[in-house]
Amino acid sequence: MWLEEFDEIFKGFLPYYLLIVLPIFIIVSPVNPVASSSEFPAFRMQHYDLHGIAHGCRSAGINLEAKSLTGWSTPRHCVLTKLKDLTVDNFRNIKLKAGALLIMLPENISNLNVEEQHHLLLLENAMVVQEVSIPVYFAKYSSQLEIIISEVTDNLDTNDMSKSAAEALFNSIAANGYQIVVSSSSLGIKTDAKVASIHGHLPGHSTDGKIPTIAIVAHYDSFGAAPELSYGADSNGSGVIILLELVRLFSSLYTEKGRNTHGKYNIVFLLSGGGKINYQGSKKWLEDQLDSLDGSIIQEVSYVMCLDTLASNESIYMHVSKPPKEGSASSSFYKELKTTAAELYPSVTVEGVHKKINLADDILGWEHERFSIRRLPAFTLSSLKNHKDLRKSTIMDTKEGLDIDRLVINTKLIAEALARHIYGVTNGSVLGLSVDVNRKYIETWVNYLCSQPRSPQLLSDKDNALIAVLKDNFNKYLREVKVTNAVPDKRDPDFQFYQVTSGTVNVYSVKPAVFDLILTIAIVLYLGAIYLFIERFSILYSLACTLTVNRKIKSQ
Amino acid sequence: MTLYHFGNCIALIYVPYYLAYKNSGLPEYGAFWKCIQAGFCYMFTQLAKMLILATFFPDNVSDLGSDLIGEFLKSTVDLADLVGLYIVLASIPGKGHSKVLTAGIGWATAEVILSRALLLWVGARGAEFDWIYIQKCLESNIFLIQHIVTATLIWLWSRHDLKSNIRTAVTLLLVLTSYKSLLLDLLLTGMGASAWFGLFIKAFVTMVYGFFTLMIYAGLAQVIGIF
Repeated sequence: MWLEEFDEIFKGFLPYYLLIVLPIFIIVSPVNPVASSSEFPAFRMQHYDLHGIAHGCRSAGINLEAKSLTGWSTPRHCVLTKLKDLTVDNFRNIKLKAGALLIMLPENISNLNVEEQHHLLLLENAMVVQEVSIPVYFAKYSSQLEIIISEVTDNLDTNDMSKSAAEALFNSIAANGYQIVVSSSSLGIKTDAKVASIHGHLPGHSTDGKIPTIAIVAHYDSFGAAPELSYGADSNGSGVIILLELVRLFSSLYTEKGRNTHGKYNIVFLLSGGGKINYQGSKKWLEDQLDSLDGSIIQEVSYVMCLDTLASNESIYMHVSKPPKEGSASSSFYKELKTTAAELYPSVTVEGVHKKINLADDILGWEHERFSIRRLPAFTLSSLKNHKDLRKSTIMDTKEGLDIDRLVINTKLIAEALARHIYGVTNGSVLGLSVDVNRKYIETWVNYLCSQPRSPQLLSDKDNALIAVLKDNFNKYLREVKVTNAVPDKRDPDFQFYQVTSGTVNVYSVKPAVFDLILTIAIVLYLGAIYLFIERFSILYSLACTLTVNRKIKSQ
Repeated sequence: MTLYHFGNCIALIYVPYYLAYKNSGLPEYGAFWKCIQAGFCYMFTQLAKMLILATFFPDNVSDLGSDLIGEFLKSTVDLADLVGLYIVLASIPGKGHSKVLTAGIGWATAEVILSRALLLWVGARGAEFDWIYIQKCLESNIFLIQHIVTATLIWLWSRHDLKSNIRTAVTLLLVLTSYKSLLLDLLLTGMGASAWFGLFIKAFVTMVYGFFTLMIYAGLAQVIGIF
């Protein structure tokens, strides 16, 4: 008997049950598991504050309709364009009136012609120099995105008079539109941001007590329109690599037993961080060194040599903020560099450039100015003649564009000149068979440094891998290696970084709302036809009956 | 695309089922529970089929045409559908046409709910527009006809008073039912046809199929005197 009851329950309740359970089941399933047909990684533009001035784009999330460079009109449009089509004027206009900007980079960014390079440099500068309120993203080249861009460009001409009215109408109903969605969490300030500087030294040896010091400085960070696209192979990868090569050469010279190659100078090596944000790393380091109670060896410095962007030109410029006095250490190094260049590589010209420090300007031109302000004799060696050269901060500065031959030549020149100055050799070279610049070593470092973007905000985390590697390398060759961290002041921060540097762009293909209405009408018509078919099915049935009857009559 | 688009798709997919049920006179027979039972039987059959497929064809992720024999054997498993429909038919009392329609509509409805509802909920509601959802809906309408036809054929096959030559034809059509989708897919990929054209071909073939079955049914119905 209870079996029947159970059967009754089963019959009576289970389906109702399912009617409730199934929808709940469907509703609680993940709301948006559908992946869009096109997903691209995208890199957000620079976003940082420096000395209280905001730079770069201030927002991150996009959910807007895609329009081409000429087709957009309202803040509800996201402009989708290729980098080479975007002009500075366009950008200024978009910045003020459009909703967002998504830029596709060229296929090979280091392989542009001179005109395109110039255009890109100007554009990048215009983008970063001021704050931008709309989200700006860069996407790498992909053929899929290229197709979408061309489709968006073609679709825009609904007001085009050359098309027929029917065509225009059809276009406005059925044309493929694209919705660009970048979901992002809120833009928080990086609270634990810090800029690390690594230093170590080689102690000199002298019989008469007092040992002068030379400091060699290079900043290791890079800069470009987007943090995750700034590989900075030349600026300042080249400076870092030369510094690392000098570390290797002089540590082997200073420690070699049996031969009298221990120099008379202490050499301090500093890899400073935050070079692109007004040399924050060297500023902090210098403050620590000079203001510490126990006297630092930096106070006895003969000169500070900063290395910056040393592989872009056939010449080396020695930038100073005060012409060195005749007979001073820096002037004698300058002479050594000049004669070495004339001896070894006559094609390389060495020139001195004098630029006074502009104290009214917040941003310093060269790294040596940080030291010159504190009255230390300092100069910067660079292949660039002007501190405003835009090549110091561009996303085009990648490994593919780096001239390794020139980097090796410049390394050799600087190492040789420094060695001659330290050992007081005036004729004949110091570096030669057993100790010489090693191209393999340089190439290894080029590969390593250029394999990752080195924007200051990306390196500002705790325990950054790159900084650990550099520190390990210092530990291998130098003594008293230390990391100094520059942390922005809580109340009046010198610099601030923001969190989101990259995201995923989803491009959804969508249809206009009118299209849905038209579709509904079509569906209603179709359903009407089906209704008629089912209603009048008897006609078909009787037709089938007549046919079979006829056949039966025939067969009989 | 939006909830509205989802509504469009739902209308396109389920309204023909509703119309078929309502206008075929089934509500007068109180066939609703029978339809649901047919649906349960569908679920059970699919479960059995899945077990067989999972046991004997562990890797069913290959492109069409790369493993013809495997595909053929997999289609052979679809013969289990016929057994399932036979059981459904056997459990429904009543005259020929109500029996056939109840089984066919119940079976097809269960399929359309189980295989399409989630797809539409997940896909057609998303931001992305794709014609594939409309196509799937239209395909489901074709399946409705197909399942009614299959049910009719099984009913005809189970009759003892069928002429032997017609019986052979019915058997042939039944076996072909299992392989129809495979053959059509092969043909369409071979031709490189677009999705819309493929849909049209499927509809056309199913219509022809349906008309043949209707002729046979009409012939028998006149002989044994049912409508």
